[in-house]
Amino acid sequence: MRRTAVIACIAGLGLALALGAGSARAAAPRTPIHHFITLMQENHTFDNYFGNYPGADGIPSDICMPVNPHRGSKPCVKPFHIGTNSVSPRDLDHSAATARLQYDGGRMDGFISALTRRNQDGRLAMGYRNGDDLPFYWNLADQYVLYDRFFSSAFAGSYLNHVYWVSGSPAAGFDRVPPGGLGNLPTIFDRLQKAHVTWKFYVQNYDPDLNYRTVDRFPGNRASQVIWVPILNFARYVDDPAIMRHVVPLSEYYKDLDNGTLPEVSYIAPSGPSEHPPSNLASGQAFVRGLINSLMDSSAWRSSAFLLAYDDWGGWYDHVTPPRVDNFGYGFRVPAILVSPYAREGFIDSTTLDFTSILRFIEQNWGLRPLTRRDATANSIGSGFDFAAAPRPASFVSAHRGPLEEEASVVRSRVYTLYLGALGLPVLIVLSAAVALMRRRKRSEAAS
Amino acid sequence: MGEAALESLRALPVHRWRTGVLVRALPYIGYGGAAGGFALAVFFRFWHLNAVGYNSDEAVYAGQARALAHDPQVVQLFPVFRAHPLLFQTILSIGYRLGGGDLMGRSLAAAFGIGTVILVYLTGRLLYGRRAGLVAALVIALMPYDVLVSRQVLLDGPATFFATASLYLVARYATSLQRPWLYAAGGAMGLTILAKETSILAIGALFVFFALSPEVKTRTRDLGLAALAMFAVALAYPLSIHIAGGGHRGQNYLLWQLFRRPNHEWSFYPATVPLVMGPLVVGCALLGLILLRRQMSWRETLLLSWILVPAVFFQLLPVKGFQYLLPAAPPVALLAGRMLALWRPPPLTLRALRVPGAVVSAALCVLVLTSVGLESWRRISPKESGVFIAGSGGLPGGRQTGLWVRNNTPLGSEFLAIGPSMANLISFYGYRKAYGISVGPNPLRRNPAYEPIGNADLALRRNEVQYIVWDAYSYARSPFFGDKLLEKVRKYNGVLKFSVTVRLPTKDGLSASRSLIRVYKVRS
Repeated sequence: MRRTAVIACIAGLGLALALGAGSARAAAPRTPIHHFITLMQENHTFDNYFGNYPGADGIPSDICMPVNPHRGSKPCVKPFHIGTNSVSPRDLDHSAATARLQYDGGRMDGFISALTRRNQDGRLAMGYRNGDDLPFYWNLADQYVLYDRFFSSAFAGSYLNHVYWVSGSPAAGFDRVPPGGLGNLPTIFDRLQKAHVTWKFYVQNYDPDLNYRTVDRFPGNRASQVIWVPILNFARYVDDPAIMRHVVPLSEYYKDLDNGTLPEVSYIAPSGPSEHPPSNLASGQAFVRGLINSLMDSSAWRSSAFLLAYDDWGGWYDHVTPPRVDNFGYGFRVPAILVSPYAREGFIDSTTLDFTSILRFIEQNWGLRPLTRRDATANSIGSGFDFAAAPRPASFVSAHRGPLEEEASVVRSRVYTLYLGALGLPVLIVLSAAVALMRRRKRSEAAS
Repeated sequence: MGEAALESLRALPVHRWRTGVLVRALPYIGYGGAAGGFALAVFFRFWHLNAVGYNSDEAVYAGQARALAHDPQVVQLFPVFRAHPLLFQTILSIGYRLGGGDLMGRSLAAAFGIGTVILVYLTGRLLYGRRAGLVAALVIALMPYDVLVSRQVLLDGPATFFATASLYLVARYATSLQRPWLYAAGGAMGLTILAKETSILAIGALFVFFALSPEVKTRTRDLGLAALAMFAVALAYPLSIHIAGGGHRGQNYLLWQLFRRPNHEWSFYPATVPLVMGPLVVGCALLGLILLRRQMSWRETLLLSWILVPAVFFQLLPVKGFQYLLPAAPPVALLAGRMLALWRPPPLTLRALRVPGAVVSAALCVLVLTSVGLESWRRISPKESGVFIAGSGGLPGGRQTGLWVRNNTPLGSEFLAIGPSMANLISFYGYRKAYGISVGPNPLRRNPAYEPIGNADLALRRNEVQYIVWDAYSYARSPFFGDKLLEKVRKYNGVLKFSVTVRLPTKDGLSASRSLIRVYKVRS
């Protein structure tokens, strides 16, 4: 009898263990953020987008960039609002070599000359945008968190910074897709898979046939899919249909929001509306607004965070000297905005951050092991949250900026004075008429 | 016509009644009638007052009042200065400042309606005696036209109240020739203009009256002083616009009103207004002018000019509105009351039964009042319909939709509707910006008070507009734009999020479910 009981207990324990192993428990988020979305747009510096944003570490008033720093500080070009002179927007060179020339050993005085070397009108680097050009982003900054010390991870262009975005590493250090892909470089997706944290990589205009092996067959801008979606550079992912099911067209983002199936971690790569100069900024803002509005209009909003960042500086001027953390970076500052019901309201966060700060937040939130020393030591974007506060209700941010047609209180008080005064005037006339008639009647009675 | 003539008029209809119990009961009957009339006026104006939500115009005026009261939810959605003066909205805004809601807006309008009933009684009593005043007050208390408009947050109810006050004060002046009443009438006229600027037509009515009534001797100087009082009061309108820098929009609106394309057929007023005033009421007023033509005096000139001047003007004006002729309703009621109270029909012989003229008169009076009372009752009973005439009442489903929008869509989301009517309701109840696709971008072709969306497709592609609202009322008026809107629903992946449906009778006697309002979420 006892023997039977022992056997039954052992069998039950074994069954329980087997069941437990079969249904591995997913890592639970450690903050109220159950859905994290990160979008990488293209090629602008902080000063280029928010250099005049009130309260931010923007363009110094006395700056005048020498045309040729090796010939002295004059002649120089002062920052200007793009569109106010003959300098027209174009795609500035943003190679690693140009970045280092502009950085000029930390003197930060080569922004014009480096481009002039590339036969470009270097003056354009000193151009900036303002709230009229970027109404949605400036409004977003008014209501959520604007990071003004968010650096690109590397003195390089899109490719290397995108690799940092998912791996916290420069891989082999090339700023282009290596012929054999990125090998066994660990990425955040490995960590998420292992921890059973749901994730997707949403790609606008996604072409499943386009990856690092086939990129040569896709001429022109279409190749940017491989650059902006680093996961397509790994043989172990590309060859694994289960993993590739996580890489989906952007339309699924909207469906997932509608169906309440948004994964815990979402990466988004744009296509046309990436704001890559000289493309239309309005269409880029409309694209981002659509993503954020759809999130706000979904059940996921209450437990979500959306981080908008720009992959590299794009050749534009920025006045803050990037801290040196290793041979690759940091690169120049880029704009970054955090939108979340838990984001601090109208907060300018000056914590030093880079793309690995995004990884840091994901790792901390879901209890994942860091990928590299960079993300292990990076500050988290979490400084923009205030989890002690109640979540803010969804509120679409306006795409228009400028003085609103609000009636000033002084106008309202004058309306009251005039109309109530007008209402009182006939009453006074009627009363005086009645009094006059009564007096007249009394006089006539007295006379008779 | 002096006081003696008035006394003879007063004496004329009742002298046969001055016998026995009837004479002793007469004052009580009068008091009972007055109380009953007042009770009916209150009942018809307050019963189920808020059962159906606001219509577009109500939303605009209430929105202006809330903006004046600095309600942060609507201050950006309803500019204080749009098209009309702000007297009613200013009074209403005080109520909003004190915490009043939607019901308060309509209650204030209804209170003005009851005030009009009282003023009709006072005017009728002054012109034709207590009985005529009472009958006229009962007529206006039950008249569907006055009942319907008084139950809405519109400017026409208050304008009619102040116009009737002006009429009373002019009558007061004409009967006494005491100048202060004329000045007071000028002040009241100023308030009428401040309630709605089109009431300035009453000046024309007064001009016609004084020109055609030499027996009401008036010095030009006194008329000038009365006009001065009127302009002093009415000055608040242009002055407030000037202070706010909103004159451009006001002038544009006036020009647009004068030169826009007609919104109704020329037969709109003849076909609509007598029906809502009550065919029997209008018939009695006309019949009285014929039957009592021997007693015609300045009184009838005053009332007729008060009716005809606005009627002719609005008939000629391209823009026609259901409620525009409301200020003519009190003088029509007074003329009907005059006929019903003063005309004594000959005895009626039915076989062996001889019915006295007084009884015939009373029966006619009951018939007229019953007819308008029943029609008012029919019109104020909440019912579902897919047809709607602007100004004729609330918009079923509009409030329900607006509240859904408020509770289920993110703040700052923007809407596209067929026309400005539904857009105004979305803004008022939903606290969301809404455009009408039918509002053209050409400033010469649209009401300048409306904001056009410009390029709707661009706004949808840029995700500046996230919702589309289709409604059966606007579709009935503008099927072209209704279809265009549905095209955009299809083009921008519209997903139905909310709808209001009603069961309506079909031609074969059954009932079918019909969609009144639909809200789609769209995405480019």
